[in-house]
Amino acid sequence: MTTATTGAGSTTGALAADFSALLPDTCVITDEVGLRSYECDGLTGFRQVPAVVVLPRDAEEVAACVRVCARHGVPFVARGAGTGLSGGALPVADGVVISLQKLRRILEIDVENRRAVLEPGVFNLDISGAAAPHGLYYAPDPSSQQVCTIGGNVAENSGGAHCLKYGFTTNHVLEMEVVLADGTLVTLGGPSSEQAGPDLRGLFLGSEGTLGICTKVTVRLLRKPEAVRTVLADFPSIEAAGDTVGAIVEASIVPAAVEMMDSLAMEAAEAAVGAGYTVEAPAALIIELDGPAEECDEQFAEITRLCEEHGATRIHVAGTPEERAKVWKGRKAAFAAVGRISPDYFVQDGVVPRTRLAEVLTRIAEMGSEVGLRVANVFHAGDGNLHPLVLYSEAAGEHETAEDLSSRIAELCVELGGSLSGEHGIGADKACSMTRMFTDDDLAVMQRVRAGFDPDGRCNPGKIFPTPRLCGERPGPFRPHPLEEAGVISRL
Amino acid sequence: MSTSTTAPTTTTELRDAVRDAPGPVVATGAGTAADWAAPPAPDATVISVRGLAGVVAHNPGDMTVAVGAGTPLDALQSALAEHGQRVAFDAARVRRGATVGGLFATADSGPLALAYGSLRDLVIGVTVVLADGTVARSGGHVIKNVAGYDLAKLLHGAHGTFGVMSEVVLRLHPRPPAVRTVALPCPDLAGLPAAGRAVTDTPVEPSALEWSDGRLLVRLEGTEGGVEGRATRLAGLLDGAAELPAADADAAWSSHADAVEGPDGRAVIRVGVRPTQLGEVLTSLVGEADAEDVTAAPATGVATLTVPADAEVVAAVHRRLAAAGGTSTLRSRPAGTDLPAWGPAPASAVLLRAVAASLDPDHRIGRGRMDPWLPRTGAPA
Repeated sequence: MTTATTGAGSTTGALAADFSALLPDTCVITDEVGLRSYECDGLTGFRQVPAVVVLPRDAEEVAACVRVCARHGVPFVARGAGTGLSGGALPVADGVVISLQKLRRILEIDVENRRAVLEPGVFNLDISGAAAPHGLYYAPDPSSQQVCTIGGNVAENSGGAHCLKYGFTTNHVLEMEVVLADGTLVTLGGPSSEQAGPDLRGLFLGSEGTLGICTKVTVRLLRKPEAVRTVLADFPSIEAAGDTVGAIVEASIVPAAVEMMDSLAMEAAEAAVGAGYTVEAPAALIIELDGPAEECDEQFAEITRLCEEHGATRIHVAGTPEERAKVWKGRKAAFAAVGRISPDYFVQDGVVPRTRLAEVLTRIAEMGSEVGLRVANVFHAGDGNLHPLVLYSEAAGEHETAEDLSSRIAELCVELGGSLSGEHGIGADKACSMTRMFTDDDLAVMQRVRAGFDPDGRCNPGKIFPTPRLCGERPGPFRPHPLEEAGVISRL
Repeated sequence: MSTSTTAPTTTTELRDAVRDAPGPVVATGAGTAADWAAPPAPDATVISVRGLAGVVAHNPGDMTVAVGAGTPLDALQSALAEHGQRVAFDAARVRRGATVGGLFATADSGPLALAYGSLRDLVIGVTVVLADGTVARSGGHVIKNVAGYDLAKLLHGAHGTFGVMSEVVLRLHPRPPAVRTVALPCPDLAGLPAAGRAVTDTPVEPSALEWSDGRLLVRLEGTEGGVEGRATRLAGLLDGAAELPAADADAAWSSHADAVEGPDGRAVIRVGVRPTQLGEVLTSLVGEADAEDVTAAPATGVATLTVPADAEVVAAVHRRLAAAGGTSTLRSRPAGTDLPAWGPAPASAVLLRAVAASLDPDHRIGRGRMDPWLPRTGAPA
């Protein structure tokens, strides 16, 4: 047994003993090998082995574990599937990781009220799976939806390709049960969209695990749209594709999704899954419409007309569910597939006002050229959410140049009036860049709000807000999940 | 009742006014919800945000607009209409000149909430002044953004506590080229949930679905051909459903808004429950609390009603909703009445008190509004 001293002076042994009094042995991990599998999340460059990992089996046990942490004065980090891309579930040295993977029951599919009651460890895609027999689905669809959990979605306020029309996690959560830093259980939100008093539910959503641990969540389910129409259109330039998106917006059409890929991304995706992309095309758009059939058909005709008007060189209508799945599979595989054309890469997540897409892409290309690195682009064009992939070689010693370029791209997004993150979160990864987007006062007020929830700062410390210790660290290279390489899941 | 009034025209002036006021502060806009929630402290300095009005930045191509918190929403809608855009929000009191800041602080919403949510879903950035004069911003000018805490959510429904908003950034939607309303008889409130489901089980995707005056109003928005086809389909699918001529539709929605605002002399209460409970809860309130002017959204579970301005009756409504696991908030409160604005405090009220203590330890901003969930007196000296 290790006798490392935790932050507050308790020994890891004493901490583990308290957990063992609460949970069966299989739910308390203290051995080095076991702990190591929790040392990072999807942002594999940041690693930290925790003191203890616990796997409570229900909300009461989560609360009891948090009370143990409170008693010992040690920090804790909640963890779902560990697919996050910003190091939001990065453990804290000498701290506890509270895994929610045993809380994975779908508690209720309430068809009449169109909602699902879930434990946090339920996979995002399984919600729609359980709702499907009733003609319902859960709208937010992060690209990793097969392997990410609703608890993680709550923490990150996850979006997805279809959030352009349907919004983010925050727009679909009605009610949550939350364990606070002192181990008390409270309910945030309510049974309808109407709440009495301030929207603490909305404040908690997207707070990246720094305000507490969600142990139960009620989400809205939507009726599956009657019609879905998907088109893949090639364009002679990024600008022409961008102008087409602008024209769609001007035509008062809100598509369900508008995705753009550049030639480098398509080359990689095509090599990986053969989705039928034209690899010679400088840019392509995937545009999807859904809704009542009349509306969908009318707007789809308009969209294909706008694509032609803006010089589309090929318009491929995915006419069957199989063809649609193929188009999307390529899109989802594009990211991990970049590994086929580059030994290493960093993925970035930033947002610019949609009208500045062409400008930011030109600047990114210039910045890449200046340092001799290629940047592939796959992004949600409808809402200006970029996912530049900085390609580099670890072996060639390009790590620092690539990492610097990637960070500068996110900061460029802020300069252009956008945001450091559209969906991956700030986590440990971008905490040091937060001062580019917010003033010291802005960040101090956020910290004061946090102090109301967690006065001792033990709830996922070191995330979101810049700290000197954190900002000195240097991340390692990114490694994709095997399912990403297969085009089954994606992170953008 | 209040000691003095100031009317800043910039965020800096607002900051100075808030910081330098001697005691409690109450922010006002158009005054359309001055009698909502609990009364502010009688000695509060009134700070009007009406001078913080107008568009700060409108980016039509990005579908966003930044405005002063004191901007009347109806004026903003007129300006946006020239670009074929709107804030997809239609609370009843907008027509009386309510400001963006006031509508946000009171968590108001209208029939369009079915499709677009309330302002909490439409505001993407906020600038707020705290009691100590700190000016903080959260969110930004892009719709998709997860950087930092979303402080706006804390201010939504806070009725002017925690801080005073100076600027708000909103996401916009296209104005639909065509709108139709289909009406469907539903004389009995008890049958409301089933009648609502009959509509939402069809594929027509209404943007609003409201019960008012014995019938369900279904609003369809979209392209000319689209709404025509959807209205025809709905009329064919549901017994008694018929499209209303444009003038009748306008009158029906106007009458709905009148009911939401309620007549003078009665207490207006907004409630929320699980949709399937709506019929039973509303029926019992009509029977036991003399509820009138009922409007209800069967797909979201939100309803508005009026009851006699009697403290015991209002308290009974709060208790009834709490027992049903729902929520209730007092809106309009007739002058001179002393009615309980809030129901039993939820467990999460401990968080409200802790956050208030951190942001505004003397409870200066909006003191009294959230009584008894937040203290009605300042911290002891």
